[in-house]
Amino acid sequence: MKKEIGSFVVGDSTKCTGCKACELACFTVHNRKSNHLGKTVGTVTVPVTPRLFLTKFEQGCMPIQCKHCEDAPCLNACTKGAISRIDHQVIVDAEKCIGCKDCMQACPFGAIALLPYARDGRLVGQAMSSEPKVFASKCDLCEGIEGGPACVRVCPHQALRLVDPEAEREEKNIRAAEALLLTKNWR
Amino acid sequence: MIVAIDQNICTGCRECAEVCPAYAIVGEQGKPQTIDTDRCVMCGQCVQKCKSYVSVLTHGKDAYERVKKERNIPDSVQEPLFAAHAVCHLNEVKAALADKNRFTIVQCAPAVRVAIAEEFGAELGTLTPGKLSAALHALGFDRVYDTNFPADVTIMEEGTELVKRVTEGGVLPMFTSCCPAWVKFLEDNYPELKDHLSSAKSPQQIGGAIFKTYGAQLEGREGKDIYSVSVMPCTCKEFESERPEMKDSGFRDVDAAITTRDLAWLIKDMGIDWEALDEQEFDQPLGLYTGAGTIFGVTGGVMEAAIRTGYELVTGQPIPDLEVTAVRGTEGFRTSVIKVGDLDLKVGVVTGLKNVVPVLEAVKNGTLDLHFIEVMTCPEGCVSGGGQPKLLMDTDREEAYAARRAATFAHDRELAYRKSHENPAIKKIYEEFLEEPNSHIAHHLLHTTYCNK
Repeated sequence: MKKEIGSFVVGDSTKCTGCKACELACFTVHNRKSNHLGKTVGTVTVPVTPRLFLTKFEQGCMPIQCKHCEDAPCLNACTKGAISRIDHQVIVDAEKCIGCKDCMQACPFGAIALLPYARDGRLVGQAMSSEPKVFASKCDLCEGIEGGPACVRVCPHQALRLVDPEAEREEKNIRAAEALLLTKNWR
Repeated sequence: MIVAIDQNICTGCRECAEVCPAYAIVGEQGKPQTIDTDRCVMCGQCVQKCKSYVSVLTHGKDAYERVKKERNIPDSVQEPLFAAHAVCHLNEVKAALADKNRFTIVQCAPAVRVAIAEEFGAELGTLTPGKLSAALHALGFDRVYDTNFPADVTIMEEGTELVKRVTEGGVLPMFTSCCPAWVKFLEDNYPELKDHLSSAKSPQQIGGAIFKTYGAQLEGREGKDIYSVSVMPCTCKEFESERPEMKDSGFRDVDAAITTRDLAWLIKDMGIDWEALDEQEFDQPLGLYTGAGTIFGVTGGVMEAAIRTGYELVTGQPIPDLEVTAVRGTEGFRTSVIKVGDLDLKVGVVTGLKNVVPVLEAVKNGTLDLHFIEVMTCPEGCVSGGGQPKLLMDTDREEAYAARRAATFAHDRELAYRKSHENPAIKKIYEEFLEEPNSHIAHHLLHTTYCNK
């Protein structure tokens, strides 16, 4: 069946230890080509820019990332046309992003951070200043990356999973129906 | 402090505590951790594991440069820095290289040549002895020797010691003593078993003692003029080189031990283009090595190298099958029986320090019937050492170790000599300087004693 609504990754604070393996893996797979990352730390020449954010709170910790909202406030807020919906995912075009922070303001989850932008292994400067250009860094569900979301793959405690909300709803429907079957004698 | 955790960067995930073989990482879940230095064996597995990096978002814009300075890391380094880290001695090495009055000698361990290229973007486990030697020459070291040569010496010394213990009734089982983290663990936790350790020093320290004596003679110099550097896959080798007894040459035998990762930093810092380097040989004679020396880098390798030579020492005949596959593998503890003439040599190999505890208990209780046991602290031996290139994703770990192992065995197969005692430079040094294995001078320079804590 054709997917009607988008997937997203969600963390589980009861399993997460806060190790940041997800953040580092996220950065790694997104910079293999654009910033020539190999498999070891020594191949990195640019700041680590994750697209999900380990969040510590009183009861524990977990990574927070984009929900790929259907009526996405970030997309609606972007005046530069830098955010678009591609195959149900909300995707930022870093080249177009000017770092205006409108999307940051609009996102109810804090799932977007402005982080330094690098190409070819070095930081890209702003047009009129020596400061590095920044971009709206957010989850793109590892679009175009083999194996799917890297954060899910590397988590040592399986504290992250890719949610297909429609499939999960149907599954819950089935479980509910099975539970109701047990109550069939009730009228 | 050789391995440390930065309190400002640590998230308290305790993933490092999971891999620490010495239960040395203490702290509450979710709070910054500290290292109990009495327990720590400085293996650096926590350094390999830690993913809690210095972040612009969490720690601020200036944190990265500040941490770099605090840790004496070269300015040119741009890679992520993590909470768990090893001490950096590159400033001292750079100063020695710049000092025209110092004669600098470098040695590098077998596991370095199968991993360092990864830091320059090569595939995991790419074998590059020629580029490694070329880079060390380009850095300005006066002699580029190799730890594989003293590894061959180790086999002569330790192999002879084993044969003596077996035939003359010495303390058995004998343990290998190449791994400084393992030696510290035994001294700290099982001091009553210290006589089971081979008295032979590790290849690094044998190299250090030889370079400032025989090596100095070869140059017409004195030991005091030599600055000796070792490049190791290991964070604990610096601790070993700092041990007060490691000065049998009359000077500190190894002046600085740096890691594979440190060397990659130094190469980049000095502006050397790794890709453009033409392959070069190690310098002679103390850089001539055998396949036996190079397999020290993998678990079971010291055992295999010792058997290749020990067989011939005992039987007078070359070993029928050079590749002693019975001792290979990656299981935490494996045993086998090797036919050496009339003798059934019973050997064991331990990899991953946690796996040694039941073995030590069995030795203590007298329930373990073995002659010789190799012990390495890191998961699959030195190729997986704490000073090796660090993986960005742990999902690559299995592949990295397998590729580095495979490259080590491939190197062994391509070398002209594959048994330590057949190395012409080994024959020469015994003729000219060391007399014979376990001779008086060999004992003085190449053997050590262990301490009760």
